[in-house]
Order: sequence, then C-alpha cells, then structure tokens
Amino acid sequence: MKFINDSRVRIAVLLESSGRVLAQHGFTRSIDVMSACALAAAIHASAAEIGRQLDGTPFTTLHHPGHERQIFLGELSTGRGAHILLTVFDDATSIGLVRLYFAELSRRLAVATTTPAAPPSFVDFESDLNRNLAKLFGRI
Amino acid sequence: MSKTPYAELLSMLSRHRGVVGSFVVSERDGLAVDSNVQIGVHAEAVAALAASLHRKARLACGAAGCGVVTFLRLDAEKGGICAAGRDDLVLVTISEARANIGLLRVEMMRAAKALT
Repeated sequence: MKFINDSRVRIAVLLESSGRVLAQHGFTRSIDVMSACALAAAIHASAAEIGRQLDGTPFTTLHHPGHERQIFLGELSTGRGAHILLTVFDDATSIGLVRLYFAELSRRLAVATTTPAAPPSFVDFESDLNRNLAKLFGRI
Repeated sequence: MSKTPYAELLSMLSRHRGVVGSFVVSERDGLAVDSNVQIGVHAEAVAALAASLHRKARLACGAAGCGVVTFLRLDAEKGGICAAGRDDLVLVTISEARANIGLLRVEMMRAAKALT
C-alpha cells in the first residue's frame, strides 16, 4: 500500500514470473486481474528474451506511455525468486516517480524476503491435486 | 558520450558557490534530461520529486489565478531547491545554505529562457 500511496498509481499487480497473482490493487473483476497477469508475464518474458539477444542480459523494466494512461512493468528480485510488478498510471504521477518508488519497493521487498521459500512438498502437491480432481469431478 | 545542449548551462549553474547539483528535468515524465551533480546527490530521486513539485506549483498557481509559475524556491534547514520552468522542461538546482540565492535566481531565470 505504501508504494501505491507514494507513487499514486491507479492499478498495481504483483505477480510471479509464471503469471500467478500475489497481490493487486485497482481491479474490480478477477477476470481482469487474470488477463492482465497473463499478458504481463508474457510481455516480461518477451522483453527479457529480447534483452538477452540484444544485450546479453535480460531487460528488467518496461515503460509504455499511452495517450492518457501509461504502464510500467518491472522485475523485483526477491529471496523467493523474481516477481513482476505491473502498474497503470495517469497524469497524477510520472514515470520518474513510479521508477523512484519502484526502486524503494524493490529494496524493501529484497530485505523482507531474505529467507527463501520452502520448496514445494510433493506430498502437499499430491494431496492438493487429489483434492482438486475430486472437486472437479464432484466427489466433494 | 556526446554533450547535450544543456551541459554548458548546467556547468555554469553548478559553478555557483554552494550549488551541489543542477538538472534539466522533463516535468511530464519526471526524468532528468541532463544533470551536473556532486557525488552523493541522488540525481534520479531529486529530479522526479522536483518535477512533481513544480507541476503541483504550476497547477496551484493556475487554480489561484496567479498565472504561469516563473520561479519556485524551497528553503530547508541545510539548503534549498530552486526551480524555473519553461514549457515541459524545468531547470532545478540544489544548493547549500551558504549559496547566494539572489544571484542564482537571476542566472536560473536567464537560463530558463534558453530552454527549448
């Protein structure tokens, strides 16, 4: 919330590089969040690959100014892997301010996630899978 | 890397006594177009925040019917920030308390007219 209040962005979505949503602000419909995350993950992957091919290192941030609204997409390196922050903003703020507070958020997130997440347990995975399959086929 | 058209102007402002940094900033983007700062000055942060400050001052003066902002001065305990804008570009200086603000203002107003 601090990032949103400081940078005055309209929409912010924090997601994993796979496209899984971690947190969001500004969207009212979950379908919009899922679409935005899928697109953001794809854009980030494409930009990273272009960076690798052109420069040898992946591009980590992307800014696209529209007529009224702009998007900023940036990679946050954390102790639990790379996350992506997608923001949408208008003329209430500027790309300079968004980048400034993004850098601050990146630093705070890196400190807050120094301990890596525990690797997924295969036992949990199997029980989750069985439960979801049971739900899907109406056994629960 | 080649010099920008603002390099000479910024160098002239930075030579003033007590001036620790000067920038040309895009008000809309909050990004520094060119800067001349001493080591330790966080140029990107100051540029983004000063551009935002200038924009708000411009809007406030417009709303109050004061017309166009010509010069903005922010005094603080250990120094201050001055800004003079023209169109989308803003000339910003960071100075220590010992700086001669009167002289700096004259130079900045003159330099701001040359911004295009």
